[in-house]
Amino acid sequence: MSTALLEVENISKSFGGVVAVTQCSLVIPEGSVVGLIGPNGAGKSSLIDLVSGFERPDSGSVRFAGTNIIGRRPDVISRMGLIRTFQTPREWRDLSVIDNVRVGRSALERESIWRALALSRRLRREESSERQELFDLMTHYRLDGVRNERASGLSGGQKRLLEFARIAAAKPRLTILDEPMGGVNPVLGERIGEAIRELKRAGSTVVVVEHNLPFIEKTCDEVVVMDLGSVIAQGHFGDLRDNKRVVDAYLGNDDE
Amino acid sequence: MLQYWTAILTEATIFAILALGIDMIWGWAGDFDLSAYAYFALGVYMTIVMTVGKPKAPVVYILGWHLPYLIAVPIAVVVVVAFASIIGAIALRSLREVYFSITTLGAVWAIYYAVENYTPLFNGYNGVYGLFDPMGGSLSYNNYHYIFLGFCLLVLFLIYLVVQRLSTSAFGRMVRAVRDDERAAAVYGRNVFWAKYRTYLFGAGLAGLSGGLFAAYIGAFNPLDWKPTEIFVLYAAILVGGRGNPKGVVLGSFIVYVGFVEMTRYIPSPAARPELGPALRQILIGLLIILMMKFRPSGLLPEQLGSDGTVARRSWPERLLRSTPATNHPIAAPDDEFNEDVA
Repeated sequence: MSTALLEVENISKSFGGVVAVTQCSLVIPEGSVVGLIGPNGAGKSSLIDLVSGFERPDSGSVRFAGTNIIGRRPDVISRMGLIRTFQTPREWRDLSVIDNVRVGRSALERESIWRALALSRRLRREESSERQELFDLMTHYRLDGVRNERASGLSGGQKRLLEFARIAAAKPRLTILDEPMGGVNPVLGERIGEAIRELKRAGSTVVVVEHNLPFIEKTCDEVVVMDLGSVIAQGHFGDLRDNKRVVDAYLGNDDE
Repeated sequence: MLQYWTAILTEATIFAILALGIDMIWGWAGDFDLSAYAYFALGVYMTIVMTVGKPKAPVVYILGWHLPYLIAVPIAVVVVVAFASIIGAIALRSLREVYFSITTLGAVWAIYYAVENYTPLFNGYNGVYGLFDPMGGSLSYNNYHYIFLGFCLLVLFLIYLVVQRLSTSAFGRMVRAVRDDERAAAVYGRNVFWAKYRTYLFGAGLAGLSGGLFAAYIGAFNPLDWKPTEIFVLYAAILVGGRGNPKGVVLGSFIVYVGFVEMTRYIPSPAARPELGPALRQILIGLLIILMMKFRPSGLLPEQLGSDGTVARRSWPERLLRSTPATNHPIAAPDDEFNEDVA
């Protein structure tokens, strides 16, 4: 097994009296595609918020690429190479589609006010030299026909694909996808599965939160199961099918 | 008559610079700021007290320097930006939308009443005044107005070039991304506070600069000359012209200041009710905002979408007539099986 990219150790988080995550630990090996599953309210989305810096855990530790990232802002964690999505696509609605992808990849040092004013010609040249790369990306995600349109005008499916184009442009080390299949039809589902494999080939480790179990089985190298705020099992999908705790979590346990 | 038009155009030019600053904060970064009029006023006060020399009793104010105008204005801008950096740091740290607006509204009224009641600062409600001539007394009184209008137009043109360049730069694009969805912007490595803060300070600096120009135009300034609520005239100008589009903002400022100041001049006020004319002006501006919101919410020249450089750009008169952004591809291609809408 390769080295661990993300190590979560005994983290807990409650919101008032509601315990969202409790004593949760898991390890994501570098280069793998890991499915994160569990019933509604199991704490999957809360766990993502804790790992990506949007919430701060009450206790425990999170290490990304060997560095403790507790207390760091989301943008700092992102610059270390972690990109996440949300349950609904969050495009920048009044930017054009191509600008959405440009912001996804844009070199941050170009965004200084003084450089923008003093070196505008050089920065523009740099951007137009990267244009072909962006066009290829747009074509690849079937967005080339709409690349100059306002992103808010895209269909739900196109917004999902735009999200993947943006991630591909950002080239993250770890991608966490929160329900990428929410509300998409089966044909687009195939394309999203392919997009996840492409991310892996491009060198990104991927964590996928999803309720669609056949999709998880097809796409993921291994699966982490959460219930009631902590991890109850981790392993290959086939082995977990017979795990009693996993079955109980999904179907309810009549003995209790 | 010519002098009258010169005065109106000078005023419109100065307020166009202020509108460009406010539009950066609201149009680009999405923060509906209500304190910008205080930055403008502070620019006016600072420029006056740094140029007109020592106060003569019973007038009191700070500084009382005798600096050349062209040195005083940049210093005033620095003071305004320093001041805005405090209010911005408080208001932008974690407050957004209406909470941000309420905070800046509180700030502007606090400043207004402090200036009015704390006499040693800017002579309280009597205000500061003094004859000063930006050109150093080399011009006759009549020529001065025309030259000063030319100077203001030149400054506006330069500021427009700077703002337009910023607007189409990676910085302008990133700030708009933060405006549209700041959580997504953070996910892609952007420091949301820093992006908004930089825009805020730049916009406040432009407000201070317009105040510096206004000081030379008006020569005297007291709390009756500025009410914080007058910022809505500037928001009307931005709405008419096109939020987020520097060219539109300049156009809107001229329409509102020239058009509305002019229009209301010809409304007859009965001798017994001299305040009727100015009141009608406010009513008309309110009506203008409502009608623009109803029929053309993105303004005469809507914000420009960034393109890949392959789309022919339409000229701005053409865009004025047709508000929809240039479209060379249908959004929903009929052969695209991915177009199932997500509920």
